[in-house]
Amino acid sequence: MIDPTTTQLAHYMDLLSARQKLVTSNMANADTPGYQTQDIDFQFEFMSLVDGPQGTPPPQTIHAQGLVAKPDGNNVSLDREARLLSENAIRFNVASTLVRGQLKAIRSAIDEGKNG
Amino acid sequence: MSLFTSLQVSASGMAAERARAEVLVENMANAETTRTPEGGPYRRKDVVFSSDLQASPFSAVFQNELAQGVRVADVTTDDRPPEMRYMPGHPDADSNGYVAFPRMNPAEEMVDLMNASRSYQGNVAAMSAVKDMITKSIDIMK
Repeated sequence: MIDPTTTQLAHYMDLLSARQKLVTSNMANADTPGYQTQDIDFQFEFMSLVDGPQGTPPPQTIHAQGLVAKPDGNNVSLDREARLLSENAIRFNVASTLVRGQLKAIRSAIDEGKNG
Repeated sequence: MSLFTSLQVSASGMAAERARAEVLVENMANAETTRTPEGGPYRRKDVVFSSDLQASPFSAVFQNELAQGVRVADVTTDDRPPEMRYMPGHPDADSNGYVAFPRMNPAEEMVDLMNASRSYQGNVAAMSAVKDMITKSIDIMK
């Protein structure tokens, strides 16, 4: 990528979309008997993407802890998923705005150079 | 590409909840039905969901990982004995004057229907959030 910050932002957005995918799965399976809420360890996965070598394997899916299971064995909490859904969307929004800013800075450097 | 798989997952959730709502509405419509093609009163139906691996239409090309959607695995029929009501004048009454009616609790159906409708809304919200994220990443190029 262009510079380390943009690369990190790209990793961040990748992880956010991976997590959003799990949130949509959890929501779709809110009434599936025996379904366990899925999540990723965001902090850990982000650190291993940033520090790790190129081509790190895709994030590990884990079962979310500390949720109350219903009698049918399903432990999806719609409130938790709704919170994560909007949180991920907002974080993604911020990251994409920052990437846009980075690209804009580069573009303006090119454009200003033209008139020099 | 994983964001497009999310849309697929939410769509599977919406389809499943819609199927569930259809069955619940069928139950309520047939709350007083005493004749069915199989004979006897109508029997209450219910759906069973199971999680289902979703592949996006292009997954074979992009080799992306699968996500867990949902599908209706089975439609079960309630085997509780029918409710016997004493109605000697009814054409379907037995020799003792009792008519077999479906055993149905309107409150049960309404609660299930509300549940299905809320879950459907949840999936719609998830889909629009993901759609927004896709639009935002397209906007980076502008």
